Amino acid sequence: MENYVEMLFEPINNFWKNFFSFLPNLLVMLFVFFIGFLFAWIVRAVVLRVFKVINFDSWCDRVGLTAIIRKGDVWSKPSEVFGLVIFWFLVILFLMIGLSALQLKTIDNLIAQFFLYIPRAFSAILIIIAGYIFTGFLSRAVLIAAVNSGYHYARILAEAVRLLLLVLILSMAFEQLQIAPGIVIAAFSIIFGGIVLSMAIAFGVGGIDAAKRIIEGGGEEKKEGKNEKDKDIEHL
Amino acid sequence: MADFHQTDPIITLHRLGIPRLERIESELVEFSRQRPIALVLPALYTEFQGEAIKGIIEELKKVKYIREIVLTLGRAREDEFKKVREFMSQIPYEVKIIHNEGKRVKEIYATLERNGLHAGEDGKGRSAWIAYGYILANGVSEVIALHDCDIVTYNREMLARLCYPVANPNIDVVFCKGFYARITDKMHGRVTRLLMTPLLRAIQKLVGSNPFIHFLDSFRYPLAGEFSMITDMARINRIPWDWGLEVGVLAEVFRNYSPRRVCQVDIADNYEHKHQLLSAENAQKGLMRMCVDICKSIFRILAAEGVVFSEGFFKSLQVAYLRLAEDTMLKFEADAAINGLVFDRHEEAKAVEAFTNAIKKASEIFLENPMGTPLIPNWNRVISGIPGILDMLKKAVDEDNR
Repeated sequence: MENYVEMLFEPINNFWKNFFSFLPNLLVMLFVFFIGFLFAWIVRAVVLRVFKVINFDSWCDRVGLTAIIRKGDVWSKPSEVFGLVIFWFLVILFLMIGLSALQLKTIDNLIAQFFLYIPRAFSAILIIIAGYIFTGFLSRAVLIAAVNSGYHYARILAEAVRLLLLVLILSMAFEQLQIAPGIVIAAFSIIFGGIVLSMAIAFGVGGIDAAKRIIEGGGEEKKEGKNEKDKDIEHL
Repeated sequence: MADFHQTDPIITLHRLGIPRLERIESELVEFSRQRPIALVLPALYTEFQGEAIKGIIEELKKVKYIREIVLTLGRAREDEFKKVREFMSQIPYEVKIIHNEGKRVKEIYATLERNGLHAGEDGKGRSAWIAYGYILANGVSEVIALHDCDIVTYNREMLARLCYPVANPNIDVVFCKGFYARITDKMHGRVTRLLMTPLLRAIQKLVGSNPFIHFLDSFRYPLAGEFSMITDMARINRIPWDWGLEVGVLAEVFRNYSPRRVCQVDIADNYEHKHQLLSAENAQKGLMRMCVDICKSIFRILAAEGVVFSEGFFKSLQVAYLRLAEDTMLKFEADAAINGLVFDRHEEAKAVEAFTNAIKKASEIFLENPMGTPLIPNWNRVISGIPGILDMLKKAVDEDNR
């Protein structure tokens, strides 16, 4: 009878034993969560204050970052959006640190992958931001140059340049994030290569006559030049 | 208005013979292929509770030459905006509603504000300005026509006549203002009749010949809210956001274009819309506020043209105005008598008295701060400050209308 009772209570005892050995880890995790949340909140408040002092919103408006945010139908101030991104990044970071306190093997692997991924995410964000600014600058420069040169399709040309560069930047960002890198590179190569090839064909086909004229003209000029030289009177 | 007198320096287009709406409309359909036309309708939600807007929509449903309507809606909650959207869906062509109280458009105003570009307070000026921005962002229309939404006597001939001079590529006109008589059993339009015209002529008496005063005085109804213009004008014109809107718009037209490319057109035999109370005792509301704003606007524009104002000038101006306004009153009394209209001379005299006070108040404000109300910056200026603003505005309006 005693054995039966022991058998009955053994799992419960084991559970309690495991639970009490696990409890400190759980408490540490909850504490880290709490501290992380508090820290993220403070950092967000500080960042917002700093952004306000340095007129971050106006800067975003002028360089076009606000326009990118609005394209995603986000209508908060850029400083609030960035503040929120930083806040959630820190919350997730502390969540990972907290989870590592549980000392579970599977979670530890996940956390290691997460921390390895952070630099990639950062560089992808930087590529997108810097690329977008550069794209805007270059497409505007093309627009101004084309308008000043009297091209009828100046706007289309500028938009084409912007589109091409955006494709390039997005490909670079995706490649950095390791999101289907093979497909991204293949797709980019096909699109970019296709465009360059079609432009080369178009230029080649369109320029046949011009090239012919140049070549023939060059030949004739050479001949004429020779004849002219022959006619020249040379002193003995 | 059966005469054909031309008031120098602008062009006056009269309403002669029997109007043929079908002919004008069919020509406009042709013109609109070359020069697409946008119609801007500044409106408050309260106007959608009235009868006038129903008549306007019924008429607009039949119009075939308008490419897009941009209704710029003020003082409307989210649910009211949805009701207006539903109401406007009767129109069979593209209608976009700018919800000025919506979170997206509010954020556009906040973006302007934090970059030092003040779009002014809520009102017709700001509403019209944001609508021009949307039209520029859309990049489709080359002509913009604008009229109010409280016109009780609206018919589509008004719109056709308003659009025609600017839409017609053979008439080299960049700006066209409507004119009309405002009569029921009596004459309305007190501010134009008894303030604007005598004031302009009184100023002219004191400062001598001035091209801007001459330009303003050549308009038969300078305070009419109906006009059409080329879209490029929306890029370069700055407008006031207060009641000085109409005068301010004319001042910018005068500054940027030759008066030979400006016209006024007779758009209706009669025109009726809501009437403002005089509120002679309070310069902060009603017709009095409107008068003070208009006077301030005229003084500021003239100062910018080089006219020197002093305390003594304003004292003389009040006396000169009063005299001219009293003379004008007599003219209108005779005009009313021959047309069998009621003419309450006492009420008209009270209005003149109130307008004299408005001039006094405006001159005090002007002497205190000659810069006065700043104008809303033009769209070229805004785009140079915030390059992506038109994209943002387009996104905001399109999302609101989705």
